[in-house]
Amino acid sequence: MLFFRDEEHVARWCRAWRQPRGAVLDLNTAWRLADAWYGVPRNRRDWRRYSPDEVAAIFARLGLTGEFWSS
Amino acid sequence: MPITAEDVAVRCCVYDIVLESGRVPARQDCAHRLSRTDAEIAASLERLHAAHQIVLAPNGEILMAMPFSAVPTPFVVSSGTFRTYANCGWDALGVAAMLHCDATVSTSCSDCGDALEVSVADSRASGDALLHFALPVRHWWDSVVFT
Repeated sequence: MLFFRDEEHVARWCRAWRQPRGAVLDLNTAWRLADAWYGVPRNRRDWRRYSPDEVAAIFARLGLTGEFWSS
Repeated sequence: MPITAEDVAVRCCVYDIVLESGRVPARQDCAHRLSRTDAEIAASLERLHAAHQIVLAPNGEILMAMPFSAVPTPFVVSSGTFRTYANCGWDALGVAAMLHCDATVSTSCSDCGDALEVSVADSRASGDALLHFALPVRHWWDSVVFT
């Protein structure tokens, strides 16, 4: 997951590296996703990885739907 | 390979050290702190790796304790005197989330290389940047380093 200045730079990078365009998130959506994913410190004994259903719920809450976001 | 209580203790130790210092620990750091042998720590790390809780390098040392990177990357996260490397752009924001602190990500545009700065303050992110996810979710663990 890489940072880019804007959409034009994403498109140029995808062409240069022969990669299909994936999903582009604005910073606040990316931050909310990071907060949901990493907000529980992993030095807590009760931390565990999210289940597939929990992951799907996080994505859906942020409007990240469709084939790209399905596991 | 089910995760054991000893493995959980190793995972907590890894994150205790990285959250204290910004540095992903070496195996011997965990062995010293937990008074366990290197072989015991190595076995726990293998099980944590298999469970996708960390990522090991070929030499058996930790490469990634997500969101933290054991090696320098173009994603430098600072918060006060705390400074660390994240694995990717998402993980850089994840460091701020795990710290529960305001933070600054010093990075660059992956296309043109120009410097970019992303700030997290008061639970909001700001900066002149976008985050691109190249791979669909179902392929994230096919090659986690590329992801």
